[in-house]
Amino acid sequence: MMMKTTLIAYSNPYLGKDFFQFFMQFFRRLWAIIMGNVSSGDLVSDEVQIFVLVGISISAAVVGTFLMLRHMTMLANALSHTILLGIVFVFVVGRSRGVFSQEEHQGFNIQALLAASLVMGVVTTFLTQLLTKTMRLQEDASIGIVFTTLFALGVIFVTVLTRSAHIGIEVVMGNVDALHVDDLRLVYIIAAINVVSFSLFFKEFKITTFDPGLAQVMGISVGFFNYLLMIQVSLTAIGAFRAVGVLMVLAFITGPVLIARLLTHSLRMLLVLSCVIGSVISVVGVALSRHLLSIHGISLSTAGLVVCLIVVSYVFTIVIAPRCGFLAAKVQESSNSHT
Amino acid sequence: MAEEISALQVFQLTVNYDKTPVLWDITLEVPSGVLVGIIGPNGAGKTTFLKAALGLLQPLSGKMTFFGNPLSKVRQRVAYVPQRATVDWDFPITVKDLVLMGRYGRLGVLRWPRKADWAAAYHYLEMVGMAQYGHRQISQLSGGQQQRVFIARALMEEADLYFMDEPFAGIDVASEKTIVELLHRLKEQGKTVCTVHHDLNTVESYFDWVMVLNIRLVACGPVEEVFNATTLNAAYGKSYALFGEALQRSRRKMKGF
Amino acid sequence: MCLAAALVGVLVFLRKQSLLGESLSHASYPGVVVGVVVASPWITTKNEGLVIAVAVAAGAFVTAWIGLLVIELLQRKVGVRIDAALCFVLSAFFGIGLTIASHVQFTHTTLYLKMLPYLYGQPATMTDVHIVIYGILSLVILLMVILLHKELQAISFDRDFAASLGINVKTIDAVILFLVVLAVVVGIRSVGVVLMSAMLIAPAVAARQWTNNFTMLLIIAALIGLVSGFLGNYLSVEGNRYFSRGDAYWRFALPTGPMIVLVAGVMCILSLLLASERGLLWRKLRALRFRYRCICENILKTLWHFGSENEIALEVVAKYQDISSIYLKFILWRLSSHRWVNNTKPRYYCLTNDGRQWAAKIVRLHRLWELYLADYVGVGVERVHRNAEEMEHIISSEVEEQLTQLLHNPKQDPHDQPIPSKDFVI
Repeated sequence: MMMKTTLIAYSNPYLGKDFFQFFMQFFRRLWAIIMGNVSSGDLVSDEVQIFVLVGISISAAVVGTFLMLRHMTMLANALSHTILLGIVFVFVVGRSRGVFSQEEHQGFNIQALLAASLVMGVVTTFLTQLLTKTMRLQEDASIGIVFTTLFALGVIFVTVLTRSAHIGIEVVMGNVDALHVDDLRLVYIIAAINVVSFSLFFKEFKITTFDPGLAQVMGISVGFFNYLLMIQVSLTAIGAFRAVGVLMVLAFITGPVLIARLLTHSLRMLLVLSCVIGSVISVVGVALSRHLLSIHGISLSTAGLVVCLIVVSYVFTIVIAPRCGFLAAKVQESSNSHT
Repeated sequence: MAEEISALQVFQLTVNYDKTPVLWDITLEVPSGVLVGIIGPNGAGKTTFLKAALGLLQPLSGKMTFFGNPLSKVRQRVAYVPQRATVDWDFPITVKDLVLMGRYGRLGVLRWPRKADWAAAYHYLEMVGMAQYGHRQISQLSGGQQQRVFIARALMEEADLYFMDEPFAGIDVASEKTIVELLHRLKEQGKTVCTVHHDLNTVESYFDWVMVLNIRLVACGPVEEVFNATTLNAAYGKSYALFGEALQRSRRKMKGF
Repeated sequence: MCLAAALVGVLVFLRKQSLLGESLSHASYPGVVVGVVVASPWITTKNEGLVIAVAVAAGAFVTAWIGLLVIELLQRKVGVRIDAALCFVLSAFFGIGLTIASHVQFTHTTLYLKMLPYLYGQPATMTDVHIVIYGILSLVILLMVILLHKELQAISFDRDFAASLGINVKTIDAVILFLVVLAVVVGIRSVGVVLMSAMLIAPAVAARQWTNNFTMLLIIAALIGLVSGFLGNYLSVEGNRYFSRGDAYWRFALPTGPMIVLVAGVMCILSLLLASERGLLWRKLRALRFRYRCICENILKTLWHFGSENEIALEVVAKYQDISSIYLKFILWRLSSHRWVNNTKPRYYCLTNDGRQWAAKIVRLHRLWELYLADYVGVGVERVHRNAEEMEHIISSEVEEQLTQLLHNPKQDPHDQPIPSKDFVI
């Protein structure tokens, strides 16, 4: 049986470390990586987790910003579920069990996954629009029906094809502790695609989000950029499902952006800040998870922990940043209209 | 020999909205260099006319030409100012960002706004009297300020034909004055402006052409000729109701309802 | 269970809040986990089922309700849009639940296993205790919907009008939200947290295609919910049997929750396509039928214009119709078999008496309409004919009455053609 990569280096330097020691160790290793002394095969599970989560945060943040501004986050919810069907196809066609199974360390076909997510993204968006426009169904119901039916189909296929009832659960939860280098590659390819796309098409995305009518008259295809965004959401979800599961990637998509929205009024800053916030919280989450395990012997799902931290950060920001947030703008607006 | 090409030519435009007809068989011609007011009762299809002309709605039938060409060929000569309410004013951009968007069509994909574009943005902001608001968030603007900024964005396109949807609705007197002066300045430069308008009292003073719509085209021509009691009665009067009802039935049958 | 969910689903669907169920069902997951953990000291082997079921229901209810409050709070105080609030609460609460569950996985392993069925539902392992508890909750929902039927109906269709009738809109809103949370709690055991919202949406959407009546909506949705539940269960058991026959290693049941959802989804799609009034297929059929009638009447009109006594050649008729010759021949054949037209010689047709009456009526309506357009609507005389082309096919007798009165029973149309009088007889 081939073992492409080892999951845990024979000596994990993070074992037994507490919170602050973790960071010291991490920066030491980071330096070593930058210096080229450590190759990707030597990365320890904690580091793989950090890098993967950071990659996911970046993708989710940029995609999430535009989703939120378009008020289409529930469509992202739908997309993150329907990619399961795409993943099933990859499994069936490629016979790569490595997609699902956490026990066997076979690699999986990255291109197949990317292609599958692209197809499912298009299919889901198309079906939802079909229901809304041709069948005259209200938008929230269209989204609901399309994705629950497709997801149910996906779960059934998965159970039948993999002869296991646990896959459905893992898809929903992810398993951060079983990541390996292939995941790293997938996540960063997707992050790169997202960053490049939004950089190249920044003004097109801006105008199609803000004023689609004007964009259309100017000759900028609103439909094209809509589909492009949805494809990018699918890509992000498929990159994330192994690590955090399809549901929690939504916390990565919405949380950091909500936090950043309270802190800035500039679109560019929104993008940058949400990336940074997401990444920082991810690193802290991994460190905290290790800390809890080493010092208190409590083992918690790292992905879940990161989500909890996102929630805490958001509550904190709501409380302490009234000056820069929405409330402040409203207060100023009402005082403006009085003068 | 300079040929007088109409700014806008519409031929047998028919538009359905869901199952009801909103525009039926509109044929008209608008010469260049006039300020056109588009009026009619509520639900008469004024906004729909704008959207159909600009390709935002798929009409059932009809042909539109702008300066003798289809819209796709002359996009840079046509500018659009949508209703203020269609946009989310909480969007995180500044006033100058918004105005700069007017250049996006001209710039094309993969090209960024340059210094000249920024300078133009400030120039047009000054024209509408909003120069000192450049760095403000758009959420902090009043209705009149929003409308002026919208117009500045349209001016950025430096077009020959402007379409505006209810620019005078819900704005303060000062802003209204500024915008009217701007319209007249545009006319002096030989530009054409088609404005959906809701206030019958100001039609004669603001515009020199008028288009009266009520699902059908009631009249289209110079204000002195067209804006009179007969046309208004035809547009707003009761004998029209039969027409609308019959049209509704027709469309329903066509769609199978 | 599915019945209750379907009922509530109708209410939510009419308020355009279908995705609320999605958000709340995920928000209930931490409650499930915490509830079981908190109740663990009280568990003995005898009352295990009961305690866990109660604990789960209570916990789910609490956190779903908190989720609801958070969604409201985010929208009102922080200015977050509804979709972002729903999505965030969905994933955040679920993440919190997972975090706690991941710990419980090791500390209370047996309890953890008891929580797993709530992710995708496992009706097969529901014991009598479950059935009793969920049955009671479902009954509560059913009763409340029945008791508050009038108020719910009023509010669903016109809130302001309902308020003017003296109905306390705010209280009913709260009741509806309470029912949603209750439905979620009931549903997560059968269908699971992840797919629960489907049972709220699909039956409601399917029912909507069949009726406009509020009460019928509730009844049909409830029926569809029930059928989905039964069929889903049945299919999963049957499928299980089918697979275990072929595969010796097959030890797992086809997941029932997704099966139920799939059935509901299929029923929904079928309804969208086939329902008698709004279904896509029927709409297309009716449009085709109308087209057919238009062509028939146009043919009769053409024959009329050439002089109602004469025989007209096929080619002449074909010139005025814009359809394929096969279709034309088919329609002419149908017209003659129904005695509107006589096929006197091969390829020659003429009107029968009945045909002439019908044609006269059509021509009359057409010309009345032309007159109306010319005089009242101001269409130029040249264009009137083309515009009137469709109208005559759909003008009912009431409209005809109105037109005759409006135009003072005219005798000539804008082209100075005579208008056949109402009681046209040769």
